[in-house]
Amino acid sequence: MKIEFGLEDLAKYPFLKEAGDYVKGLSLSIEDLRQDDYQPALKRAKERVIEAIQKNFISIEILEPNLEILSFPLALMLVKAIGIDYFMHRYSLAESLRAERLLEKEKKSIISNIFKSAFNVNLISTEHDVFDFKMSMIDYLIRATHFHKPEWKLINRIVEKGFVYVKTHELVRLMREEIRRIVYERMKSLSLPKIPENIKEIVDEISKALPPVPSKELQEVTPGMFPPCVMHVLDLLQKGQNVPHYGRFLLTSYFLGIGKSVDEVINIYPKAPDFSERLTRYQVEHIAGMRGGRRRYKVPSCRTLITHGLCFKDEILCDRIKNPLQFGRKPVNFKKKN
Amino acid sequence: MAISMDNKTIEFLKRTFREFYYKNSSKINAPIRMNEREFGYMSFDKVMIRHLSFQTEGELRAFLVKEVPHSVYYSCAYYHEPTLSMDEKGWKGADLIFDIDADSIPTNCKEEHDKWVCKDCNFMGKGKRPENCPKCGSMRIDEENWACSLCLDATKNEAIKLIDFLLEDFGISKDKIKVHFSGSRGYHVTVEESSLEGLDQLARNEISDYISGMGFSLESLGIAKGASYDDMRRSLPSINEPGWRGRIASFFTKLEFEGYDETNKDIRDKILYAYGKMGYKGFEDFTKEIVNKLSANIDVMVTTDIHRIFRLPNTLHGNTGMLKKKCDDLISFSPLIDAVVLSNEPVKLFVDKAPKFALKGNSFGPYNSEKVILPLFASVYLVGKGLAKVIDSD
Ligand code: SF4
Ligand SMILES: [Zn+2]
Ligand SMILES: [Zn+2]
Repeated sequence: MKIEFGLEDLAKYPFLKEAGDYVKGLSLSIEDLRQDDYQPALKRAKERVIEAIQKNFISIEILEPNLEILSFPLALMLVKAIGIDYFMHRYSLAESLRAERLLEKEKKSIISNIFKSAFNVNLISTEHDVFDFKMSMIDYLIRATHFHKPEWKLINRIVEKGFVYVKTHELVRLMREEIRRIVYERMKSLSLPKIPENIKEIVDEISKALPPVPSKELQEVTPGMFPPCVMHVLDLLQKGQNVPHYGRFLLTSYFLGIGKSVDEVINIYPKAPDFSERLTRYQVEHIAGMRGGRRRYKVPSCRTLITHGLCFKDEILCDRIKNPLQFGRKPVNFKKKN
Repeated sequence: MAISMDNKTIEFLKRTFREFYYKNSSKINAPIRMNEREFGYMSFDKVMIRHLSFQTEGELRAFLVKEVPHSVYYSCAYYHEPTLSMDEKGWKGADLIFDIDADSIPTNCKEEHDKWVCKDCNFMGKGKRPENCPKCGSMRIDEENWACSLCLDATKNEAIKLIDFLLEDFGISKDKIKVHFSGSRGYHVTVEESSLEGLDQLARNEISDYISGMGFSLESLGIAKGASYDDMRRSLPSINEPGWRGRIASFFTKLEFEGYDETNKDIRDKILYAYGKMGYKGFEDFTKEIVNKLSANIDVMVTTDIHRIFRLPNTLHGNTGMLKKKCDDLISFSPLIDAVVLSNEPVKLFVDKAPKFALKGNSFGPYNSEKVILPLFASVYLVGKGLAKVIDSD
């Protein structure tokens, strides 16, 4: 059965293969990109990349579906042209977060179609008063085992005849990693044509606006997604800017809190001369509870971070959370809809 | 406590097993997709051989008669190259398997028929072995465990609960679920040719936690600290709900609470009433107990091991001489009768020490350092356990 999507849908979810087919249908050549007609799409592509890499965010407004759809492959090309793997990751993540925001508000029928087309996952819509869909236990397990909160455990789900009941926002959360991977793989497999001058210029402009690439060590500990407050401190560190004391405390307690070792956390900090490693180690071990009071410090609450001016709340991803550790894992509860 | 096996006794066991495999060769069936599986066996010298493979049923049958293993195993996993080393085999998938063992199911009769002795100071006791010897603290402890019919009934009960989870919650069709008596102290349940085959260890861990009731959270029942009663009432399960929530709700229908009037009330009211009486902590413990009762006591290590080797059906268990036997009807299956396949031929034995036990409808013992003549099936049973040796069997 062929799945049909409208132009609007493709603009929202340009990673769908149907969107790719649409662009192919336009049979554009790289040379065409010089023409004035395509400047708006290029402009939007540039916006996409800069937003994504600077703020981990891509706006969801769609002014003109055509332009939006086209801007996606162009953006992939731009990021690829920058030629740094780290930014490809960061960009893919931002695209998946954008899709996540849109999916949260999406019609059930479209969600089903997207899941079928992009992930080959069959969703069955339910009239359950808490849950929107059920999915096969296998499709669920393959993905949910990467989450460690109790509410994702199979035993805490409603499981019936091989199906697991899920809410839309849970479903969307389950697929974040996959969307990210689809975007990343697409970019990875892209072969760059000889790039026209006007695009080279755009790539140069973008490169100037990019944050510095974090050290190898940091990339290893931080391949995932962190709350905006943590991202902010990481960025300050990377840019070599002054990090407030409380920001360091947040970073250290957060990474210890998600299970990183003392050594891994120490590696997050750059090895500049004024950061004598001994001092850093001392502080990290202190927070880990290996020194002094032997009490492991908790990650400060969002409320505390707000008062320190360190909160950069994301309306969707930080919704209903009280502590950065809960970021991206909204609790499942059995409260009824409405 | 155990007596070491002399050559004569080992020869006797091998002769008995060889004869059995020779006569019953046609009943040894190849497991499905045999050539994708690894085989292994333990010899009577207690040497473990692994990474074997068989291409045909005939090869497998010939092997049993020729090698006469103490125990034969096959992998639940499917491989590209089953004979290569673990890293090189190329894992393709694995049956979903469950092992239910009498050892891990508490029964009262264990106090009567199980015993242990410290290898270092000879201190001994009855029932389940302690972790450390209470006298000298040693962890080197010999156990002598028996699976009597009560123990095996308790084990069967767990298997029945397990199968209900597989059918109702996981929607696995009945014809894909195979149940076997292990030949010794429990049941093996195997799910073959299902779409679950490709699941990794983490996913199997979730399945095994689900079945064994690990990690159940009160919140999934609808109880949350600090939530209002109205909110909680709306979130609590009804009896006809599927899964764990429904199981727990139905369990509540059977409970009685002092001062609770059932008339015109819903199961949710009853649960809330209990919650109100017990408080959060009390209710949490109470639910844990319920979950414990309703869960099936499976060996988690087995289910989550995607390379596991499992005893081959229709082969003899070297410690008992009983068969790993398929239970077509689990309810009516009597392991201590139905899985006893060796003959009645008399054998002269010296029995060191053995409590009273029943096999094939006969009762034997107790014995205490004496010479006895027992039928072959009972002789192998005692000898296999290391409690007797053959003194004269022509
Ligand atoms: S809401 Fe919490 S997690 Fe989100 S940015 Fe603010 S402090 Fe960080
Ligand atoms: Zn001792
Ligand atoms: Zn017993």
